[in-house]
Amino acid sequence: MSIIYLDNNATTQVAPEVVEAMMPYLTGEYFNPSSMYEAARGPADAITEARKKIARLLGAAKPAEVLFTSCASESNNTAVFGTIAANPERRHIVTTAVEHPAIFEVARDLQRRGFEVDFIPVDTQGRINTNEFVRALRPDTLLVSVMHANNESGVVFPIGELSRITKETDLSIVFHTDATQTVGKLEIDLRSNFKHVDMLSFSGHKLHAPKGIGALFIRRGTPCRPYLLGGHQEEGRRAGTENVAFIVGLAHALELATASRDEDVPRITAMRDRLEKELVARIPYLEVNGGQAPRLDNTLNIACHFIEGEGILYQLSAHGICASSGSACTSGSLEPSHVLRAMKVPFTAVHGSVRFSLSRYNTEEEIDTVIEVFPEIVASLRRLSPYWDAAKNQPRPEGLEMLEQTEMPQANP
Amino acid sequence: MTWNYSQKTTDLFMAAVQGKPGTHLGEIEDADGFGEHGSIACGDALRFTFRVNRDLDNPLKDRITEARYLTFGCTSAIAASEALCAIIEEGDFTPIEALKITNKDIVDYLEGLPQAKIHCSVMGAEALEAAVFNWAQKRGVDLAELGLDISRDEQEEGRLVCTCFGLTEPYIERKIQELELKTIADITNAIKAGGACMSCHHTPGGLQDILNKVWGHQPTAFKELPVLPIARQTKARPPQEMSPFKFAKLVEHVLEERVRPLLAKDGGNIELVDIKDTIVYCSMRGACADCIGSARTLKMMVEQALKDHVDERIRVVEV
Repeated sequence: MSIIYLDNNATTQVAPEVVEAMMPYLTGEYFNPSSMYEAARGPADAITEARKKIARLLGAAKPAEVLFTSCASESNNTAVFGTIAANPERRHIVTTAVEHPAIFEVARDLQRRGFEVDFIPVDTQGRINTNEFVRALRPDTLLVSVMHANNESGVVFPIGELSRITKETDLSIVFHTDATQTVGKLEIDLRSNFKHVDMLSFSGHKLHAPKGIGALFIRRGTPCRPYLLGGHQEEGRRAGTENVAFIVGLAHALELATASRDEDVPRITAMRDRLEKELVARIPYLEVNGGQAPRLDNTLNIACHFIEGEGILYQLSAHGICASSGSACTSGSLEPSHVLRAMKVPFTAVHGSVRFSLSRYNTEEEIDTVIEVFPEIVASLRRLSPYWDAAKNQPRPEGLEMLEQTEMPQANP
Repeated sequence: MTWNYSQKTTDLFMAAVQGKPGTHLGEIEDADGFGEHGSIACGDALRFTFRVNRDLDNPLKDRITEARYLTFGCTSAIAASEALCAIIEEGDFTPIEALKITNKDIVDYLEGLPQAKIHCSVMGAEALEAAVFNWAQKRGVDLAELGLDISRDEQEEGRLVCTCFGLTEPYIERKIQELELKTIADITNAIKAGGACMSCHHTPGGLQDILNKVWGHQPTAFKELPVLPIARQTKARPPQEMSPFKFAKLVEHVLEERVRPLLAKDGGNIELVDIKDTIVYCSMRGACADCIGSARTLKMMVEQALKDHVDERIRVVEV
C-alpha cells in the first residue's frame, strides 16, 4: 500500500536534491571544520556558504546573524533563556495561548520561577486581538514571543505589525518569532516585512531537510547569552561541533523551497481548498478550525462533532493516509490540544479534530482518495457514538443540546 | 506515538466500525439494564444496555441474553466495549454474576491494553455496574440485602479532587483500593484522574496524599521546583506632571475636539486603544483604516495635535 502523506506540519519528506547536497559531507568531507589542516577547509567553507545562503534568502544583513542549532525547539529555548540571561533587570514576558510547547511550556516554567508572563488569548478563529497585545506590553517587558503561523490551526499572525508596535513602544523589548511553520512557505524578509523582528527560529525538517538541524536568526546588537556553553563554535554563541552535512542540507532545502514557492503555493492552496470544500459538502456537523482567519496554504484543521480523533486516524492509517489529531487520546496527555481549547472549539468536536497538512509532493489523486474514504470513516464512528442517530444521520437530541454549549467545561485554572 | 494494540483489539475495533455480524453496536430499547459512564467533554463515553430473560418467580434468576453499546472514544474504548458485551453474552450470567466482571477481565479478553489505555477497560466495568444497579431498581432487587455496596452517591458528594474530570475523594479512594493503584501514573491510566492539568498530583489532599492514606506513607523524590526571588523592580520612568487619569481624559478630549472632526470629513474615525506613559496607541477606523496614507496621517496630524495640546513628549503608535 502506498503512503499518502498529509502530515507535513509534523515533519516532511527529505528532498532528494537535499540528500544529494549533503552526501559529500557524510562521506569524504568528514573533517572537523574547526581543524587547522587544509583538508578541513571543505567543510568549513560549506558552512560559510550555507550561512551566507540562508542570510540572503531571509534578508538578514549579515551571515553572522544566522546561528545553527539542532532543532527549532533548541532555537526557541536559546531565544528565551538567552534573552533572559542578558537582561536580568526585566521580568515580564508576552506570548500567546497557542504557542508550540517549546515556547508555551518554557513560558509556563518561567512563571513558576517567578517571571510574569502574559498569554494573549485568541478568538474562535485562532486570531490574536491586537488591542489586547498592546495592553499587555509593560515598562518591564523583556521579551515578546509570538509564532508566525500556528502548527495546528495554520492561522498566521501579523508578525510585521506586532513587531513594529513592540519596537515603537520600547526598543529594548526583544521580539522573537517562531517561524518553523512558515520559513520557505511565506514571504519573510528581515529587511522589509520582518524588519522589526529581533529573533526568528526555524528548523530543517519542516521544509524538506532532515530532522536534527535548526537555526536561530539573532539580529546584530540583540542582547542574548549563549544557551549551550563549552565551545567556540558559532562565534561562541552555541557550543558543539557543527553538523556540517545537515547545515548544508538546511540551506539547500531553503533555497529549493524559495525557488519553487511561486509555483508550489497556488497548487497546494488549490488542493487544500478542494479537500476542504468537498469534506464540508459531504460531512454534516463539521467545523473548519481557523477557516475565517488568514491561514497557511497547506493546512486544513477540521473537527468532526460526536466522534473521537484516534479512531479516525487509525482508520485513515489503514488506508495508508497519514494525518494528525488534537484529541486527548493522541496527545499523550488526557487533555485535547491547548490550541483548539484556546480557540474554544466546541467540546463536542474538539476530540474529533483532524489536521491535514500538505506539501509540494502531494498530488490531486491523493486528495481524491481522502475525499473518498474520509466521509465513510466519520460515518462509521458516528454509528457507534451515543450522541449520533445513525438512522436519521443527525445528532440525537442529547447531542444537539450539547451543541448549544460551545465552551469546554472550565479546567483547573 | 504510534499504536501499540494487540491484534485482538484492532480486530474488534475494525469489526465494529465496519458493522460486521456478531458485533454489539447499538442500544436496546426498553432495556432491562441501562448504564452510562464518561462524558463527551472528558473524551470518552459509553452507553451500555442489556436485556434479560426474566424469571417469573425470582428476579435473581434473570439471565442476560443480549448486550449492546454505543461508545464515543478512541480505538481501545470501542474495542473494550465490544469485549464487555462479548464476555457477558458468552458467559450466560445473571446480572449479579455479571458484577464480578472486572476491568482486568476486559483487558484479558483484549489480550492486553497499553498502560495509558487501561481507563478504557475501567469505563466498561463502570458502565456495567451502573446498568446492573439500574436493573436491580427496575426489578425490585435490594442489592444492599445481598451485601453489595450501593453507595453510588460518592461521585456527587465528597470533596472534588480532580476538577478536570470531576472526580471526588471517596471515588478515587475506592478505585485505588479496588484496582490496586499504587502510583499517580496508575491512577491516571485507570480512571484518568490527574491526567489533564496535573495540579492535583501533589497538592495537600491531592492524589499523592490519598495514595498515602490508603497504602501508608511512601516517601517520594518529588520536590517543588525552586522559586527564584521575586522580580526586581525596574527603574521607574520620570513621572508625568498630571495623573494618568487626567492625562487620558485630556488625550481623549483632544482626539474628540481636534482630530475626529477632520477625519470625519473623509468618512474615517480614530479609536484610542491604550496609553502607556507618554505613548498613545490609536487605531484607525472606517475609510482611514484602508488608506495607505493613514500611518502618515496619524504621525503628522494626531501626534502634532497631542503634542501641542497635551504633552510634547507624546508618541503615537498605530495599532
